[in-house]
Amino acid sequence: MKNALNVLNELKEKGLIKDYAIGGAIAALRWTEPFFTQDLDIFIVLEKEADEKGVIILSPIYEYLKSKGYVWKGHWIMIEGVPVDIFPADPLEKEAIEEAEEAEYEGVKTKVIIPEHLIALFLRAGRDKDLRKVQMLLEQCEIDRERLQSILTQYGLDEKFRDFEEKCYGR
Amino acid sequence: MEDEQKIVIGDMVLRRQDLFEGEEMARRERAKLPFEEKIKILVHLQKLAYSWGRKKDVIIWEI
Repeated sequence: MKNALNVLNELKEKGLIKDYAIGGAIAALRWTEPFFTQDLDIFIVLEKEADEKGVIILSPIYEYLKSKGYVWKGHWIMIEGVPVDIFPADPLEKEAIEEAEEAEYEGVKTKVIIPEHLIALFLRAGRDKDLRKVQMLLEQCEIDRERLQSILTQYGLDEKFRDFEEKCYGR
Repeated sequence: MEDEQKIVIGDMVLRRQDLFEGEEMARRERAKLPFEEKIKILVHLQKLAYSWGRKKDVIIWEI
C-alpha cells in the first residue's frame, strides 16, 4: 500500500497528473470501521483535460506504469501488489479531490476524499453496496450536515438522499 | 416479545436493544482506528476470504 501510494505520488511529481485522491471503499474505510474490499479507487485530475474531440487520454499514465513493470489484472492495474482502478474525475469528483483531506500512510503523503463527498459519490452510484457505505458513513463518523446538504443540492442528489433516508431509516 | 427478552451475563441484565447499542458503539470506536491499522485488518479480511471463504480470486494486498 505504501509503495503503491509512492507510485501515485510519482505520477504527480512527473506531471502526468495534476492531483489525485483516494476514493471508493478505501476512502470510506478511512472514516468507518474496517470492512472487506478488493481494490484501491483513485480519482485523478489530468494536466490536460480532454483533447479537441473531448476524449480523455490516460495513455501516458498507463505507458508510464507499464514501463515500470506494472501489469493489468482484469480491469485493475497492479501497482506494488495492490489492484488499482484509476478514474479521471468529473466535476463532483474534482471538487472532492480539491477538498480531500491530506493524510499520511506510513509516512507517505496522500489525499483521502472526505465523508461528505463520499456520501454524494456513493449516492450517485446508487448500487446496494454503495448505499451500505452511505449508511456506515452516516452512522460511524462525524458528518458536517451543512456541507453535505450543500453538496447534495449542488449536484442534484437531494431526492436520492431523501429516498435513501426513507428506505434506510423510514423517514 | 423479542424486544423484552433479558440476557443475563454475570451481574448484568441486558436487553437485546442494549446489545445492539453496544455493538454500534464498538463500531464507532473501530472507526477511529488509525488508517494503517485498518489496512492491516483489511488484509486479514482478504486472507480470510481467500482461505476460509474459498474465494480464490481474492487478491491479497501487499502492504
